[in-house]
Amino acid sequence: MKNEIAITAFKCKKCGRIHYPFHDRCLECKNREFEKIKPQGNAKLLTYTSIYNLPWGFDQRFLIIGVAEFENKIKAMGQIKADSIDELKLGMEVRPSWESVRVQAGEDVFGLKFEPIG
Amino acid sequence: MRDVAIIGVGMIPFGRRDEDSLLDMLAYASLNALDDAGMGDKTVDAVYVGNMGAGIIQHQTSIASSLVDRLSLLPAAADVVENGPASGGSAVKNGLLAVASGYYDYVLVAGGEKMREITGWRATDFVATMTHPEVEYPYGITLPGMAGMFTQLYMEKYGVTREHLLAVAMKNQEMGALNPYAHVEMLLDREGIFDSPHAVVNNPVAATPLHLYDLCPVSDGAAAVILCPLDMAKKLQNKPPVLIAGFGQATDTHTLQERDDPTDLKAVTLAAQQAFDMAKLKPKDIDVAELHDAFTILEIAESEHIGFFKKGEGGKAAAAGKTRLGGQLPINVSGGLKSRGHPVGATGVAQIVDITFQLRHELPKDRQVKNAKHGFTINFGGFGNNVVSFVLKRTEP
Ligand SMILES: [Zn+2]
Repeated sequence: MKNEIAITAFKCKKCGRIHYPFHDRCLECKNREFEKIKPQGNAKLLTYTSIYNLPWGFDQRFLIIGVAEFENKIKAMGQIKADSIDELKLGMEVRPSWESVRVQAGEDVFGLKFEPIG
Repeated sequence: MRDVAIIGVGMIPFGRRDEDSLLDMLAYASLNALDDAGMGDKTVDAVYVGNMGAGIIQHQTSIASSLVDRLSLLPAAADVVENGPASGGSAVKNGLLAVASGYYDYVLVAGGEKMREITGWRATDFVATMTHPEVEYPYGITLPGMAGMFTQLYMEKYGVTREHLLAVAMKNQEMGALNPYAHVEMLLDREGIFDSPHAVVNNPVAATPLHLYDLCPVSDGAAAVILCPLDMAKKLQNKPPVLIAGFGQATDTHTLQERDDPTDLKAVTLAAQQAFDMAKLKPKDIDVAELHDAFTILEIAESEHIGFFKKGEGGKAAAAGKTRLGGQLPINVSGGLKSRGHPVGATGVAQIVDITFQLRHELPKDRQVKNAKHGFTINFGGFGNNVVSFVLKRTEP
């Protein structure tokens, strides 16, 4: 079963700027009213890194993390489902999913993952 | 507003200091600064302590109250200032404004951090607590990881190469080896870390495209300065006072992803601009600079955003030796964070201490920038979301 991408972004009702995460006032025009929007479609990989010195709470050898932009312009960080960064390049298309990204106090913490397409 | 001078500075060697508590380190650095100011048996009006992690790492809070108690500075006002890795710079800022306003005359600013008493992965997690708690931290992102993503984009856009990064690392470790306060006192062998099959083992990937030797170490350490109004400083007849000629601080979005251009470190540009405007100086007037090279890419990117070099020229300048001692603009003659070390709360204060040494012309020949009159610092908080900058000026001919 595929989980819904449980992300909400905030589009300024006055100037249209998209915010993720939430801000109490628009970064552009200081307006306080936002339309809640959900990420749509696949995403474009904007940058990525493979991290080898992981923080407490992660026991794998390395972790690939990146930032991607959805078709409706929401930008978000996520873990990248790839065995090596050699499989990745800037601007490539990635498919989002909502999965466990870490375990904290025995509980799964859910978040974004991106899988390279093609 | 009154002109404010630095009349005393103190530091302790950075590194792994198992034998000292955080309070020990802050006290030793502060006593060194009081002695340097000729105030060994005097008190001050207020104390500002730059520290990021005592509450998390040492499980200890209100450390400014503890410090005034240990140093017998009672009943001085005392506050902790926390601004991540720019806590030190922010603490100096608070001291500066307090004296400039006319409210206090003598202020001690100390910065310190003790990071080596926890394991490396706990320390990495501690530093990562400054990332966004909902949209960054849960993914396991680290500060080297943020720097890795930034480096990839910066390389792509401005043509920075690993060769440029290596030039910064080698320069700063070479200078650190001459600095008795530096954590890392080891020269880098180019072949061993870059040009040979051994490089993969000696200099492994930390966060692509950054390698181990692109990162500063995790350190214990403390540094302190004493401030007072310039006119009072001149009457002390102690070491030559150094004027805080300019100051700037600016913020940017918490996450990198919300910046229109994530390679644009707007807070660095703005903080530097404010400091230059206040000092009525320009980047070309600076003789020596301490930049926040927690990652080698930052020394290059900051040198461009400050205006020392054009965008895309900073890496080439480093590789051409323009930022070495004796070059066009010596950067991180102390060894920078890369070699002096980066006890996060101490760094911003240590930068001021090192520039003060330079502007008092008291360093040995192999570290002194000749006739240095104007010095500059950048203390980089978060991943560029809160940046503090100073311009310092020698007051004697
Ligand atoms: Zn708006």
